[in-house]
Amino acid sequence: MLEAFEILTTSGVVLWSKSYAPVGAHVINSLINDVFIEEKVVPQNAATVSPVFKKEKYTLKWRRNKEFSLIFVAVYQSLLHLGWIDKLLENISTIFIDIYKDQLKGNRTRITTYRFDPYFEQQVRELEDNTGSVAEIYSAEVEGKKDPLVSSDNGGPPPPLPGFLKAQHQAALAGATSDEGTPPASPDTSRSTTPNHIITGKSGPRTSRRARKAANASANASSGDEHSRSRKPAKSTPAKKMRKWDADGYADEDDGEILDYSAPAEDGDAAAPAVEAVAQEDWGRRTGKGQFVLKELGEEVHNILDNADAEKSKDDAGSGVVGSGFNAIGGFFRNIVGGKTLTKSDLQKPLKAMEDHLLKKNVAREAAVRLCEGVEAELVGKKTANFQSVDAALRIAMEASLRKILTPTSSLDLLREINAVTAPTTKQHAPRPYVMSIVGVNGVGKSTNLSKICFFLLQNNYRVLIAACDTFRSGAVEQLRVHARNLKELSSRENVGEVELYEKGYGKDAANVAKDAVDYGAANKFDVVLIDTAGRRHNDQRLMSSLEKFAKFANPDKIFMVGEALVGTDSVMQARNFNSAFGTGRNLDGFIISKCDTVGDMVGTLVSMVHATGIPIVFLGVGQHYGDLRGLSVPWAVSLLMK
Amino acid sequence: MSTQASWTSLTGILTFLFEGSLSAIAVAILITFGVPVLLHIFFFRSVASPPSSNFLLLGPSGAGKTAFTTLLEAKSSPASKKSQTTHTSQTSTLITVTLPPSVPTGSNKYRSINDPSLKEATRNPIRYRLKDTPGHGKLRQTQGIAELVSMSSSKDLKTKIRGLLFMVDTAALVDEATLRDTASYLHDVLLVLQQRALGKGKSSTKRDAEIPVLIAGNKQDLFTALPAGSVREKLEGEIERIRKSKSKGLMDAGGGAGEEEEEEEVLGDDDGKGIFSFKLLEQVGIKVDVVGGAVKGDAEEEIGSGVRRWEEWIGMCL
Repeated sequence: MLEAFEILTTSGVVLWSKSYAPVGAHVINSLINDVFIEEKVVPQNAATVSPVFKKEKYTLKWRRNKEFSLIFVAVYQSLLHLGWIDKLLENISTIFIDIYKDQLKGNRTRITTYRFDPYFEQQVRELEDNTGSVAEIYSAEVEGKKDPLVSSDNGGPPPPLPGFLKAQHQAALAGATSDEGTPPASPDTSRSTTPNHIITGKSGPRTSRRARKAANASANASSGDEHSRSRKPAKSTPAKKMRKWDADGYADEDDGEILDYSAPAEDGDAAAPAVEAVAQEDWGRRTGKGQFVLKELGEEVHNILDNADAEKSKDDAGSGVVGSGFNAIGGFFRNIVGGKTLTKSDLQKPLKAMEDHLLKKNVAREAAVRLCEGVEAELVGKKTANFQSVDAALRIAMEASLRKILTPTSSLDLLREINAVTAPTTKQHAPRPYVMSIVGVNGVGKSTNLSKICFFLLQNNYRVLIAACDTFRSGAVEQLRVHARNLKELSSRENVGEVELYEKGYGKDAANVAKDAVDYGAANKFDVVLIDTAGRRHNDQRLMSSLEKFAKFANPDKIFMVGEALVGTDSVMQARNFNSAFGTGRNLDGFIISKCDTVGDMVGTLVSMVHATGIPIVFLGVGQHYGDLRGLSVPWAVSLLMK
Repeated sequence: MSTQASWTSLTGILTFLFEGSLSAIAVAILITFGVPVLLHIFFFRSVASPPSSNFLLLGPSGAGKTAFTTLLEAKSSPASKKSQTTHTSQTSTLITVTLPPSVPTGSNKYRSINDPSLKEATRNPIRYRLKDTPGHGKLRQTQGIAELVSMSSSKDLKTKIRGLLFMVDTAALVDEATLRDTASYLHDVLLVLQQRALGKGKSSTKRDAEIPVLIAGNKQDLFTALPAGSVREKLEGEIERIRKSKSKGLMDAGGGAGEEEEEEEVLGDDDGKGIFSFKLLEQVGIKVDVVGGAVKGDAEEEIGSGVRRWEEWIGMCL
């Protein structure tokens, strides 16, 4: 079953919500955080209409409306497969926007009380009945209970038609959701004389006609009349009567009553007063129930949906010869003057150009395509500002999108974090060394960047231990030894910090060496342990699998991956594979992009890597010296990319 | 032809004007009646327009900013009395709300309680505008801080900022990570304000109004919530630590020669020595108050009693 349904604005206010079971606010918050803000999770919307997001045991589907910046979210248990959720989201968004158009446009959007419950209930019931497996189960139950009784009763009730049956369940479901214990469906549901009708005026005669029709249908039910076969719940009225007729085999005291009006029904016109009489005595205790409203709602709702469909088809048809001619001329002027509502076709060419531009900046194709898609989705349906061309609008949107991607979610103050670990303010944690490890593909500059970081830490007066865990490539330990010697020399000259190398030669298991190094660091009161690892190809399963053990043994506070700025399309796969190599629950903590000085303004790798994983860039290597390590300045990167 | 010729000479024009032709009379009437109206509009706009009443609401995600705005909105509208549930925001919103008449305002500070004109104020309550911003880490720079920069540097009275509310979740501050996050955001915000105050001090006379800061300690209704004084202490301590590590941190890439001095900027006193406290900021004209409150949790009594003290603060700014 559906757990909850919410309608919220992008500013975070829930306009209307309905929950069948308590769903924590964090479920929807994480949807907003992961999907809308951080874009960590790429919604896979290949087959379905609405994208899907899974959190804990729930599956969330949503639909966005840009015009009113609304988000419609449906939450249900992942165990269930509810095929009608897509349709529900679509219908509800159409109906809600149609009904509350004026309120949403005004500035009182957030204070209005939205009495949307009946509309929603109606939709859920309808869609559930049309396609839901729940309804099928239910129907099986009902039939099972009913059949023996029916056969034992008055001999030959007409065999229930499929259409009637369906409507019956609908009514039964409606009864189940109502809070009173009254028998849910009786002819009076069709009466329009009740005070809480929405459209009182015109429904009167129509209902009675339908009642007549229904009566006729019940008389010659075996003929398989198709009237009630329609999917409109408006026509559920006859069916409900029919149900009563069926149910009388079930409840004996109703028996006479039903027979009463099935008999005069054969006379046609005479049926109406009889029905009315029953209704009059019944409605007194039924007022205020959703059921009266239900039928009218159905009509209203279907009007809205039909209108929306008609609009859509009109839009499609509108692109005729004359229309397109006018549109083209108008569009040309609006492109200059601004105030143009952007469509997909307007954006096609500029987007292609933008994509090429990004590719030229060495952004991986996958990332570029996804960025462009995101920007397109954001821009379609928007109006350009005055004197703003499509290109300019696109440029601004792309810049914003890039900035959003590159901006880290939380502060990347490494020194602050080291201090928090080595000298905790609270007594709960004992001081311990801060462990950082560095991974990456062969030859990207792991050791070089490690020694740069080490130099930076030494400047801040930390005691650093370098652990040589590349026990595989010949010369790796010697390389680090040279670095350590240089750094020691430099630090002693400036009288800052201390550095030591921890080495265990070649051929040992790297994970064990790392673990020993951390223990050694803790025993000797080092502040930071820097672990160098062997370079590995990211698509070599054998080499990558040892990383999981490494992460478990050394348990680093930070795992940084070094990526070259030179690498092109492969950056996405590198980032992804390394990110998932540490087992469940452990990811990379940041990227170090090396060799940035060699690419000029083609810094696309930054975007590709962050875009693939949602992990921030911590450092940039910008030269050959120990001091050539920089933090990432987002405006700088964005301006280079958009140049 | 004759009329055209008459335009070339002064006497010609005068003759035309005094001829009593219909168009000349129409123009005269238009000017006579139009000019006073225009003058009134012009002077009324520029002189009599009240000072801006924009407040900016900042703070990390989950502190209760949107909940606060919806509460105020619900309070100031007569129709609905229930504030809505909220989720993480993605965009900022600007709302116009009224200050309850019972809250004293700064402009009425020196008036007697028995002043009959105060009654006037109860009938048309003061309206102010509050801008709610998203607090998510990715959106802070582009929306929160950018908004603050544009509002504080704005010359236009309509968009100028009057006060800044920084909302914190006092119940979550015990957690190290939350505290760090909150403090670093606050640090960035205060740094922007300080840069503005110092920059203005050099170039021009003190024309710009100061921007007071309220640190609104939300969720005081919870059991684990820290009291306002303790919140102040914690934030000061954490900002001190951030200040220290910032001064030692790496430069950002792409920093040209011109940018380097900006990087050196430290919150508080110039040399960055001594322990940081909000008092240090008062030297540059940034007044920071820490006041506790609660958006939720006020049971059946009238809604919004938990935010009364924040509203009083807003009132004193107006």
